[in-house]
Amino acid sequence: MTAPAANPSVTATLEVAGVTVRFGGVVAVDDVSFVARTGEVLGVMGPNGAGKTTLFNVISGVQRPTAGSVSLAGTALTGRSVENVAALGVTRTFQTPVMFWGLTVRESIEVALAAREFGATYPPAPHRELVPCGIGAAQRRRAETALRDTADAILTRAGIAATADRLTESLAFGEERLLELARALAVEPTVLLLDEPLSGLNPDEIGAVIASIRAAREDGVAVLLVEHAVGELLAVADRVVVLDHGRKIAEGAPQAVATDPLVIDAYIGDELDAPAGSSFDGAQDDND
Amino acid sequence: MHGRIGLVLLVAVAAAVWVLPSYYTGLLTQIGLYALVTIGLNLFMGYAGQVSLGQAAFFGIGAYASAALAVKLHVTPWAGMLAGALLAAFVAYVLSFVALRLRENLLALATLALGIVINVVFNQWEFIGGSSGFKDIPGFTLGAYTFDQRAYAVLAWALLVLGLWFAGNLVRSSFGRSLVAISAGELGAQALGVDAERLKRQTFVLSAVYAGVAGAVYASQQSYIDPSSFDFLLSVNFVLMSVIGGIRSLSGAVVGAAAVVALKQMLQATVPLVLPGARGDFQSFFFGIILIAMLIYLPRGITGRFAEARRA
Amino acid sequence: MMASVWQYILAGVVVGAIYALIAAGFVLIYQVTGLINFAQGEFAMIGAMTAASLAGAGMPTLAAAGIAVVAAAVTGALCYLLAIRPARAATGVTLIFITLGLDVALRGLGLFVWGTNPLSLNAFSGGTAVTIFGGVLPPQALWVLLTDVLVFGALYLFFRHTYTGTAVRAAVANPPIASTFGIPLRTFAFWSFVVAAAIGGLGGVVIAPITSATFDMGLTFGLAGFVAAVLGGLESLPGALVGGFVLGIIVKVAGGLLSTGWEDGVGFFILVLVLVLRPQGLLGRAVRRA
Repeated sequence: MTAPAANPSVTATLEVAGVTVRFGGVVAVDDVSFVARTGEVLGVMGPNGAGKTTLFNVISGVQRPTAGSVSLAGTALTGRSVENVAALGVTRTFQTPVMFWGLTVRESIEVALAAREFGATYPPAPHRELVPCGIGAAQRRRAETALRDTADAILTRAGIAATADRLTESLAFGEERLLELARALAVEPTVLLLDEPLSGLNPDEIGAVIASIRAAREDGVAVLLVEHAVGELLAVADRVVVLDHGRKIAEGAPQAVATDPLVIDAYIGDELDAPAGSSFDGAQDDND
Repeated sequence: MHGRIGLVLLVAVAAAVWVLPSYYTGLLTQIGLYALVTIGLNLFMGYAGQVSLGQAAFFGIGAYASAALAVKLHVTPWAGMLAGALLAAFVAYVLSFVALRLRENLLALATLALGIVINVVFNQWEFIGGSSGFKDIPGFTLGAYTFDQRAYAVLAWALLVLGLWFAGNLVRSSFGRSLVAISAGELGAQALGVDAERLKRQTFVLSAVYAGVAGAVYASQQSYIDPSSFDFLLSVNFVLMSVIGGIRSLSGAVVGAAAVVALKQMLQATVPLVLPGARGDFQSFFFGIILIAMLIYLPRGITGRFAEARRA
Repeated sequence: MMASVWQYILAGVVVGAIYALIAAGFVLIYQVTGLINFAQGEFAMIGAMTAASLAGAGMPTLAAAGIAVVAAAVTGALCYLLAIRPARAATGVTLIFITLGLDVALRGLGLFVWGTNPLSLNAFSGGTAVTIFGGVLPPQALWVLLTDVLVFGALYLFFRHTYTGTAVRAAVANPPIASTFGIPLRTFAFWSFVVAAAIGGLGGVVIAPITSATFDMGLTFGLAGFVAAVLGGLESLPGALVGGFVLGIIVKVAGGLLSTGWEDGVGFFILVLVLVLRPQGLLGRAVRRA
């Protein structure tokens, strides 16, 4: 039952330990444990109703688990508020992108940058505010320019620089997805939870999202990725955890998991267009 | 059940008026009439989950209709009571097409605004006395007998018992269950085949009937009315009665009305001792504080609290 | 006839400027906390009565005005801390009743402190009345209009050119998500009450020399500010500004042509019309939020 995931020599960033969520009589997540490390993309797979989104809700603090715990580099996340968890470096996106209507695209990024700048304290000291007048105006204007440049660089990397001055309510769906991801990355999270970031996107946008995910990995972010497009997920993930009916049924390298009979069973009826591997490499983990 | 408790109360009131000084008899009448208005308000707010900040206007319409008929056309107040109820119902019916399309915040605003517009009409319409209102409104009579304060107390409480009995049956009927379904969520209720629009309208009209009847009796009992008797503060008082007693409760309406009337008496007796200069509607300060405190600490009202204790 | 209508319009502009200030307070609180603060007009009463009573005791008018605005702001802070925050788990109707309770309590408090007699306040400056096309504006009217320019200008700068202003807009757009970006919703709710109260108090102070101050002025001003806010779409500060002036002019012209007793009636009649026919306000877009 040992797996590389349990290797203590690698710094464990996010540790999910024995998490169970019951809604009345229904068990949505059943005793799930895994570890996500810095600089890796951990794919979370499973058919509909497997408990993936519930698991994300537990990690981000929206849902309190019935049993088990989540910790980040040794600090317990369970029991903390959503804001508190976010302040500790766990950021997420949603199946339906959530926008700040009334803000422009650039302002949306600036809000996220400000969260990083101030360590989440409002209002910041007056000299940090961007009032373009009064004493010290030149300094403030420099700060404003710097912030603006940072925001624009983030938007360029995300491939939506052209939308910078538009109001978020005018964006197309794909642009909303890209902005939401860019906004999440702007806070420089330790852990990034992505809930189906590819659904509803055209091939160009899918390429942009995958590039962003890979860039985040290079920056040392632990990315947890829930995605229905199994092919893309297996292509981008370093490791994969598979859930079915709330239980973890497999964990390991993508090609190994894709050929796991338990996983194929779970996906019966669903097409598993994975690169077909022929051998188990020991990284696969039984569900216990 | 409400009917039986009501009958006991009615007998108690009918007995009490023979021993109480007439001042307290007048207070009993007031409690009965206000409770009647509050029952209607509780049906609309507590059971149907809506909000009205203009209930004093329907009380006023009942009073003015009855007073105008009695003073101008010498119509008996008994008929005036019926006319007051009908006119209040009619006005509520017309306004419902405007107001009931709105929810919560905006409904609160709209009913408040309508209440004030109606008060402005009372003030400006010279035919019904303008700002000086009606004086010497004829009293109720039975044959040769003209009602005194004792009779008004009995009348008010008889109407209250009738109102409690009717409302009690109503909330236990499928109508009442549908109302509660609306308050839980209009879309859900509509999915169950409940015509939310129509039910809300009927409840609003019914609440106006309760207020209209009470207003008509009030006019004759006081024999004097003017627009300031039906202002925004009275609407707030009705809300306070509703909240104190328990907004989703019928007996709570009686408890709330009694509590507010008693409170007013206590304040009028004690506040000038502490603050000799205090006069006018200084009670409103305490009423506001009590309203807030109730909502924070006892949001289900006094009767709601008792119901919880019984269950525990 | 035309001349008097023009004079009514000018009078409408002056009260409209005050309605706009009170409406701005409504909009601030509504945007940040989602609740309609029925006590908004009482902040104007507190401002006006404090300034008038202090000035009456011999304090220079401008100093009294400054203290009055602070008094209104403190009142707003206390309202939030004592009544709104303890009930934050409550539902919509309960919060409506709580602010209604605040309104009544503050009016009663005003009566306790200042009694029923109207108080007067000197104009902020002397000088002669300004004549515009034959219509007359008293010097204080210019102070009123100047106040609007300053308040709305400051709000504009805050919301468009500061981190905190942008953060408030994000909080308005989506509170739960904004809070995950470190935006402190409760702190903003508190400050929305303080700022709304200060603006309302300022409105009361600057109008007091024109209308005089009474303990029960809050209801009229509050409800008028409310109508103005609804005219402007309830979610927009520019809307509040325009709504204030539109309402002020309509009310004063109608009141002038009919009788002043109809002013309230006309205002609320318009409110009901707008709520029913154009709930997004005169300027507002159709609501996108579900």
